[in-house]
Amino acid sequence: MKALLWVPFIVVPAFIQSNFILSIFIFSFILAIAAVSFNLIFGFTGQLSMFHSAAFGIAAYVTSLTASIFHVSFWLALFPAIGLTVFISLVIGSICFNFQLRAFYFAVITLAFSELARLVILNWNNITNGTLGLMVLDKPFVWIPGAGLMKIDGMFGWYFFSLAALIFTVAVCSLVLRSWIGRCFAAIRLNEDLAQTLGIDTFRYKLLSFTLANTLAAISGSLYAFYTGYIEPNYLSINQSLDIISMVLLGGRSSIVGPIAGAFMLTGLPHMIELSAEARAILYGGVLIATILILPQGLIGTLASWRRAA
Amino acid sequence: MRRLGCMVAALVATASSPVAAQNIVKIGQIEAQTGANAIYGYMSSHGLALAVNEVNKAGGFKVGDKTYTIELIASDTRGDPKEASIQLKRMLETEGVKFVFGPFLSNVFVTVEPYAKQFNGKFLMMGGATRIHDFIGTPEHDFLIRTWNWDAGPKGFGNLMVDRLIKETGVKKIAMLFQNDQGGKVLVDIYAPLFKQKGIETQLELFEPGTKDFSAVLAKLAAGKPDVLFPSYSDAYLYDIVRQSTEGGYFRKFFLVRGSLGPGLKNKDEIDDYFVYVPKYFEQAEKTDPKVAKFIADYKAFYRRDFPYDQAPLCSSSCYDHLFMLIEAMKKASSVDDVARIRKELLSMTYDGLWKIRFDEKGEEIFNFDVVRMKRGGQLSVTSVDVE
Amino acid sequence: MLQLLVGQTLNGVIVGTLYGIIALGVTLTFGITGIVNFALGEFMMIGAYVTWYLFDVVGLPFPVAIWPAIAAAAACGFAADQLLFRFTRNNLINGLLVSIGLISIIEAAALLLWTTTPKDMGYVLSGAVRLGEVSIPKMKLVVFALLAAVMFLTYAALSRTWIGKAAYAFSQNPEAAMLMGVRTDILQSTVVVYSTALAGFGGALYATLYSLEPSMGGLYILKGVEAAILGGIGSLIGSLAGGIILGVTEAVGSIYLPGAFRDAYGLIFVVAILLYRPSGLFGAER
Repeated sequence: MKALLWVPFIVVPAFIQSNFILSIFIFSFILAIAAVSFNLIFGFTGQLSMFHSAAFGIAAYVTSLTASIFHVSFWLALFPAIGLTVFISLVIGSICFNFQLRAFYFAVITLAFSELARLVILNWNNITNGTLGLMVLDKPFVWIPGAGLMKIDGMFGWYFFSLAALIFTVAVCSLVLRSWIGRCFAAIRLNEDLAQTLGIDTFRYKLLSFTLANTLAAISGSLYAFYTGYIEPNYLSINQSLDIISMVLLGGRSSIVGPIAGAFMLTGLPHMIELSAEARAILYGGVLIATILILPQGLIGTLASWRRAA
Repeated sequence: MRRLGCMVAALVATASSPVAAQNIVKIGQIEAQTGANAIYGYMSSHGLALAVNEVNKAGGFKVGDKTYTIELIASDTRGDPKEASIQLKRMLETEGVKFVFGPFLSNVFVTVEPYAKQFNGKFLMMGGATRIHDFIGTPEHDFLIRTWNWDAGPKGFGNLMVDRLIKETGVKKIAMLFQNDQGGKVLVDIYAPLFKQKGIETQLELFEPGTKDFSAVLAKLAAGKPDVLFPSYSDAYLYDIVRQSTEGGYFRKFFLVRGSLGPGLKNKDEIDDYFVYVPKYFEQAEKTDPKVAKFIADYKAFYRRDFPYDQAPLCSSSCYDHLFMLIEAMKKASSVDDVARIRKELLSMTYDGLWKIRFDEKGEEIFNFDVVRMKRGGQLSVTSVDVE
Repeated sequence: MLQLLVGQTLNGVIVGTLYGIIALGVTLTFGITGIVNFALGEFMMIGAYVTWYLFDVVGLPFPVAIWPAIAAAAACGFAADQLLFRFTRNNLINGLLVSIGLISIIEAAALLLWTTTPKDMGYVLSGAVRLGEVSIPKMKLVVFALLAAVMFLTYAALSRTWIGKAAYAFSQNPEAAMLMGVRTDILQSTVVVYSTALAGFGGALYATLYSLEPSMGGLYILKGVEAAILGGIGSLIGSLAGGIILGVTEAVGSIYLPGAFRDAYGLIFVVAILLYRPSGLFGAER
C-alpha cells in the first residue's frame, strides 16, 4: 500500500535529532509541495507553465503581510492568499487557454505575467519593502487534541507540520488524478485536438489544472515564508521556476511522488557535496539536459520501469 | 569527504554537544565565495584562509600554557540565504563553533539573524553587512560585531571624504546617481543629510538594477548643472556611468565612496577629476608598507596566481587582519572560549596590521583608509587618512 | 525636454537594433528548426568576451578581433547543435528546457574563466556627434549601421540565393522541400550556426559600448524573443522592426514613467500581441 511509504518519514525524528539534517528535510518537504503541484499542470496535463514561482511568491507575500498587518493567524491569512491565487489563475488561464494558443506561447505568456508580478512586488516599496524584503515573525498555531493550541516553532514542530502539508498535497493530487478529471488531463496531454473532438472541454480542464497547481504552490510559498522567516522578490524569479521544473524532471514527471525525490535531491545534495556555485550550475545544467535527452522519465520513473521490466 | 563523515556522525548522535576538541579552535566563515555577488566574499575567504595557514604553519598560537591550532570551516553561501541558514545551523550546533566571520551580504544576514540571536552570548558573528549596523548595540545582539566602517557619524569615512572634497575642490552642487535598491537607499539616507548639513546643493536620480544605458538619467541630472557626479556603488555600473558621462559631455568630475579606481583609469583621458575612497590603494602600499608587501607575496605564493589588486581593498572586512586581532584578544582574555571576555578585549584594543583597526563601543569598526585623486591623463595622488 | 525626447528616441533605435539581431536569430531558428534557442544570449556573451579579450588584452585591432569572436560563437553553436539541438527538432518544450540547461553551463564556464568582475573594453572609436544639444557617440552610430547592414544582407540572401529559397521552402512545407532535394539536416544545422554567429556579432558590437558581465545574455534573449514575437515570428524585417519599436518604447517610456517598469513594456507588448495578433505586426496572417 502506498501509504506505507510515508512511515519512514514519520519516524525519522526519532533517530535523527540534528537540526542541520532536519532543516534539510523540512525545506525538501515544503519545496516538494511546489514540485508535486507543478507536475499537475506540467507532467499530467502537458502544459509548461512558468507562473509557478509567481504563485509561490505572491502567496508568500500575501500571507505574511495579512498576518502581520491585520494580526490574524496563519490559517486566516492563508485565505486571501489562496483567494488571490485562484483569481489570478482564472484570469491568466482564461486569457491563455481561450485563445487556442500553442504550448510555447502559453509558456511565454506565463513567463511574462510571472516577471510582471515580480516587478510589481519589487517596486511596491510601501507595502513590500522592495529588494529589502520583509521579515516574517509570526508562527502558525495548530490545535492538537489533548495538547491544546501549539505553536509551530522549532525543528520537530516544523518537521511534522510540513510533512502533514506534503501528505495533504499528495492526497489531493491523488484524488484528482485518479478521478475522471485526471483522465481528462491525460487526454489533453496526449493529444489535445483529439480530446477536443471527443467532447472534452479542454478549456475548462486546463483552467482547472492550472488553478489547482497554483493554489497548492501558494500553500508551499506561505509555508516557506513562515519557516524561513524572510521573504524577498527573488521568490518570484525565473530561477525559482527553473528549480521547481528541475525537481520534477529529475524525480520523474509521470508519477505523483517522483517530484518529491527530485526535491530532496536538489535540496540535500549540495550539502553533501561541496560544490562552488559555478560547478553547481554546470551540474545543474547538465542534469537538466540529461533528463530531457537521456532519462525522460526522471530517476524514479526510470527505476520504476526497470523494476517492471525485471 | 569530511562533510559526509559529518553527516554520518550527526545521524548517530543524539543531542549535539560540541565535543571539546583538544587544543583546536574552530573558526567559521559564511560568505558568498562564488556566484553573482561573490565579489564581496571572495577576498575575505581568501584572506582568512591565508591567515589560518600562516598561524598553523608557525605551530599555532599560545594562550595561557596551551598551544592551539585553528580549524577553518568556510562555507560558500553562494549568496543564497537558505544555504546560509543551513550552514550556520551546522556550524553552531554540529561543530560547536564560537567565532563566525561573515556575512557581508545583507539579505543573508537578515535571514540568519533570528536564528543567530538564539545563540547570543555563546558566539561572535563578525561580518561586514550593511544591515548589521541597524542591529548592533541593540539588546540581545552582543554577538554582533561589524567589520566594516560606517559612512556617517563624526568618525565616518563618508563624512571625512566629503569634508576633503569640499576643501580640495570647493564643490557647490553635487548630483547623486544611485541604484534603486537597498544599497542605494542606504547611501541616500546617509549622504543627503550630510551634504545638506555642509551647505551643498544636491540632486538625486535613482536607476534600476540592470541598467546599461544611463543617457536619460545623466541628461536629467546634467540639466541642473551640478559640479560633480556622485555615482553608485558597484563597478559593474560605474564603468558604464563614467564612460557615458564623458562621452555625452554630461560630467567630467566624479566623487565615489564605493567602487574602485578602475572606471577612472579606463577613461583617464576623458575625465577631469576622479575622487575615490579606497580602503587601501594596494599598488602604492606595496611599495611603502612592508606588511602589505609581505601579504601580497604570501598571497601569490599560497594561491599561485596574480594578486587581485582590484579586489584587495575588500580585505578590510572579515579578512586577514581580523583573525590575528581575534587571536590577540584571546591572549588578552586568557581564554579561547570565554566569548564575553574575548568580545570585551576586542572592543578595547587597537590592532595594527595591514590596517589600523579598532571598534567603537557598539562594535562597529573604525579603520584608516586611502583617498585616491586622479586627474586627466591618469596622474594619481594618494592620501592616507588616519581615523583616531 | 525636446532634446531629451529626440536623444532618447535615437538611443532607443540603436539599442533596438541590438535587440533586433538577437530577434533575427530567434526567428530564423524557430522557422527552420521549430524551437526557440533561449541560449542565444549566451552566444552573444561569448562573442563579447572574446572580442574584449582579443582587443584589450592581446591588443589586436578591432576589425581583426571581431572575426575570431564570431567564429568562437559559431563554433560553440555548432557543438550545441550537434550534441543537443539535433535531438530536439520541432519539440518546443524540450528545446526550451535543453537551451535553459545550456545557459547554466555556458554562464558557469564564463564565470570560471573571467570571474564576475566586470570587464570594460577600451575605446574603439571615441568622440561624439552633436546634433544641436543632442550628442551621440560615434561608435553607437557605427554599431547601428553595421547591425542594420547585416540584417538587410541576411534578408537579401534569403530571398535571392538558392539556400535562402530552400530555407523558405522548408519552412512552408518540410516534406516537399525534402522531396525536392533540399538537404534538410544540413540546412537546419546551418541555420542554428548562423543564428549563433549573428548573436556573437551582436555581442562583439555590444562590447564596444558597454561593460561586460557573464550574466549579460539573459536580458538580451528575453528582449530578443519579445521583439521577435512583436514583429512576427517568421518575418525577418519584423525582427528588426520589432526590436526598434521595443527599444524606442523603453527609452521614451523611461522619460515619463518610473524606470522601474522599463522591462514591463516588452512583457505587456508580448501579451497583447499574442492575444490579438498572434502573427505579429509583420507576420503573415495564417
